Amino acid sequence: MSILVNKDTRVVIQGGQAGVNAARRMAEFCYLIKRPLNVEAFVYPPDAGKTNEIPYGSGLIAIPIYKTIAEATKNHSTINTSLVYIGADRAMKGGMEALDDSHIKVVSMITEGVPEKDAKILGAHARKLGKVFNGPSSIGIVSAGACRLGVIGGAFDNLVLSKLYREGSFGVITKSGGLSNEIIWICSQFADGITTAIGIGGDAFPGTDYVSYLEMFENDPQTKAVVIVGEMGGDLEERAAEWYGAKKRRVKLMAVVSGFCQESLPKGMKFGHAGAKEGMKGEGSARAKSDALKKSGAIVPATFGALGPAIKDAYQEMLKSGQVKEPVEPVSLPKLPKTVEEAMKADEVMVAPLIRTTISDDRGDEPCYVGYPASELINKGYEIPHVVGLLWDKRLISKQEAEIIKRIMMLSADHGPCVSGALGTIIAACAGIGMSQSVAAGLIMIGPRFGGAVTDAGRYFKYAVDNKMTVDEFLVYMKKNHGPVPGIGHRVKSLRNPDKRVKELVGYVKSLNMKTPCLDFALEVEKITSVKKDNLILNVDGTMAAVLVDIGFPVDSLNGFFILSRTIGLIGHWVDQKRQDSRLIRLFDYLVNYAAPKRREVPPLK
Amino acid sequence: MAKVLEGPGMGLMKKWGIHVPNYVVVTSAEELTKLGQANEWLKHSKLVAKAHEALGSRFKLGLVKVGLDLNGAIAATKEMVGRQVGSITVTQVIISEMIAHKEEYYCAVKSTREGSEVLVANCGGIEVESNWDRVKRLTLEIGQQPSPEALEKVAKEAGFTGPLSKKMADFAGKMFICFDNEDAQYLEVNPVVTRESDGELVALDAVTLLDGDAKFRHPDWNFQFAAEFGRAYSKNEMEVMAVDSKIKGSVKFIEIPGGDTAMLPAGGGASVYYSDAVVARGGKLANYAEYSGDPPDWAVEVLTEKVCTLPGIKNIIVGGAIANFTDVKKTFGGIINGFRKAKADGKMKDVKIWVRRGGPREKEGLDAMRALKDEGFDIHVFDRNTPLTDIVDKALQKQ
Repeated sequence: MSILVNKDTRVVIQGGQAGVNAARRMAEFCYLIKRPLNVEAFVYPPDAGKTNEIPYGSGLIAIPIYKTIAEATKNHSTINTSLVYIGADRAMKGGMEALDDSHIKVVSMITEGVPEKDAKILGAHARKLGKVFNGPSSIGIVSAGACRLGVIGGAFDNLVLSKLYREGSFGVITKSGGLSNEIIWICSQFADGITTAIGIGGDAFPGTDYVSYLEMFENDPQTKAVVIVGEMGGDLEERAAEWYGAKKRRVKLMAVVSGFCQESLPKGMKFGHAGAKEGMKGEGSARAKSDALKKSGAIVPATFGALGPAIKDAYQEMLKSGQVKEPVEPVSLPKLPKTVEEAMKADEVMVAPLIRTTISDDRGDEPCYVGYPASELINKGYEIPHVVGLLWDKRLISKQEAEIIKRIMMLSADHGPCVSGALGTIIAACAGIGMSQSVAAGLIMIGPRFGGAVTDAGRYFKYAVDNKMTVDEFLVYMKKNHGPVPGIGHRVKSLRNPDKRVKELVGYVKSLNMKTPCLDFALEVEKITSVKKDNLILNVDGTMAAVLVDIGFPVDSLNGFFILSRTIGLIGHWVDQKRQDSRLIRLFDYLVNYAAPKRREVPPLK
Repeated sequence: MAKVLEGPGMGLMKKWGIHVPNYVVVTSAEELTKLGQANEWLKHSKLVAKAHEALGSRFKLGLVKVGLDLNGAIAATKEMVGRQVGSITVTQVIISEMIAHKEEYYCAVKSTREGSEVLVANCGGIEVESNWDRVKRLTLEIGQQPSPEALEKVAKEAGFTGPLSKKMADFAGKMFICFDNEDAQYLEVNPVVTRESDGELVALDAVTLLDGDAKFRHPDWNFQFAAEFGRAYSKNEMEVMAVDSKIKGSVKFIEIPGGDTAMLPAGGGASVYYSDAVVARGGKLANYAEYSGDPPDWAVEVLTEKVCTLPGIKNIIVGGAIANFTDVKKTFGGIINGFRKAKADGKMKDVKIWVRRGGPREKEGLDAMRALKDEGFDIHVFDRNTPLTDIVDKALQKQ
């Protein structure tokens, strides 16, 4: 047996994410005691019509969300209890809604910081209706082996350690949430555990006091003793003492009260709980409460630490008198399925990875590039080209190499609005398309005819150098197998009108004391081809390619240098158009050569 | 509960039709001089100047001056502003009009479990405190309004006669309306006096305690709440309060000068049992602290730093019951960071740390604490199998 909540308790939770977390805890308990989930519905207007997925064992249970309590109880007629976990400013309205529903008999409120007046109104309303309003600030109610309402009892391991899977003989009433767990644990270690434990909340005027619950415990034959954990402030402990002393009670009352330190502390000091405050004239002090409880015949250990042994004594007495029997422990208990992460940590499963990476890892407090923390790279003076070197070639390049890459990027960042890439981005930007799509529209243009020749140029120059080909051999090889040499030739530039970017880059690399076999070979190729035709010069793609191969970048990464650099320009074009609030553009008819057949009659469909 | 100083307290009473003396709250003599030019009553009335701070025994401290003219009030303001009393610096002075009166009465409304009580006495000032049996009360349930008849009846019971009983009933009725509408927990006017000029009842002094939790529905509560224990909040206390107001869960911190046992326990309930255990063992608390409701680790870290700066501490009690949903590993992570910072600042010399805790991820959290030993901390870590407050016994045993 138990009080307030039991195997028939069916719950609606009023609340959003906080309510879902409570439901998860409740589902863990249901799983432990091998009973179906006791949460029937949620009420949370913003998500009405959706469902919350609550893990139960290794599966998920979909619990519907309604706009109102009335809708929830209409669709789930077994609901008899509400758990309220909404904001303090809406708590009273929510609590009233639940109390006013004829299906609901018990309302427990987890919400903290509810105005005192609201709590009083809820408490009075519940009493008028003959219902129970528990809280606010209540951690919940748990009946061992039967029902958990709220988050009382803590994590799954603690439920097991505290033997909450089966009934004991002790009732528990506490103001504090943390201490409710502590007492449940103590009852399970020093005695046979609990029947029902209730957190009434630490506010000044909780909806239901100790006495109402003591009455219920008195009428529950399974409960042999009740432990109350009080604290200074208010008069609930005094009322409990009065109740206990009024006549011979079946249950044994045990109590501790906190707040003796108040005697040596500044008057008016505020403790953790709103209600934990001595009155103006010393009423409600820990000593007054403790004395009243002792006088009523309750067992009141001097300290919290002495409570365990006192519970043990009481239990031994019950065993001796035959009032209780040693509990029978179940042979086995369900184990909460581990998450994959937990199981891996415990070396219990092996998972075949879906992808493999060899360059970066951000599982710590910052990203590491090939093992080097980003902040350390920054602080030691490394720059963007070094990050490129790490992520594209897994090595820390030299200062000189970084300088070359920086210059390549600066030279290739943009080439005006008329080229395919920029034009693509601008047309998209003018059509009102967002940045990432517009930039992608420009990037799509990069290919064999626009900016995408770097990789191929690098590949063939490298092939020639690796195979020690002469320029003539190379040109024959290319003509036979691949066609025109990538990296050679320009639409507008020529020997007489050289590309300044090429001159700049070649000049700089040549001024350095480094070996440049590919670049040297490419320049030799240019000497021959440019004689054949004026514009068959080494273009910027070919120059970049040769230099990057000379630095040692893998051939497959080479187009990346153009893509990366040009992205800077494409973003610039998008922002430029956006800031000008440019209008949709459309090609003028005169820019089109209409070579399609003239207008004619459509023949009948056959 | 949140205490409100006299100025804003009287403001709330005035809002609900209770007569209060004319008053101004100023921060400098210059401000009062300017107000004096604009307000006739300041020029022509006898005035009272009081330091407008959460201080007890202001009269004895010379922070109340009566029977002043405007120049006297300006001089008194000049003298009071900037005065240091313990940890409090006087920053505001309230100047109010003296009300000529003969009789003094008492009226209060207080919160009870069932609703409220209206208290009335036909004596006031210090007389009522020594004659508490003369206070008569009207008990009201929540949602119930006191009827004029019931109020007059209690006024008559308290010894008011003739037209005065009706006036007192009316005054008490307004007090109740103010109490009810302003989410007050305690309103007290002592004394209530009859103003000789027009025969109206006037509130001369107000004690106002409001329900801080109801602030969300009172946009006009534009005043700060005052500390309730006769001193101002310290800088560190205010910093923790600022963190507390920003986070899910809570962190609390109050300094107690002169103590040597620092508290850093979890839970509004358990923290008090830990404090009790220290006092019961003859220890001296250096502070009260508490964190609960699964606060973020950085908030616990701030709290830890403040605890570690307490002067002259020998032990830090990192206690706690078996948590329901506070993540032990995460919150301990904040505490550990705080300890490390304090150690780097040279603050943890000769300080012993005592830990006891249970709850979600307790093993990981306790292991992390134990590992601090390797960093040179004098730390003693216990799990749920050690009773709650035994670490206090261990900490204070050998001293």
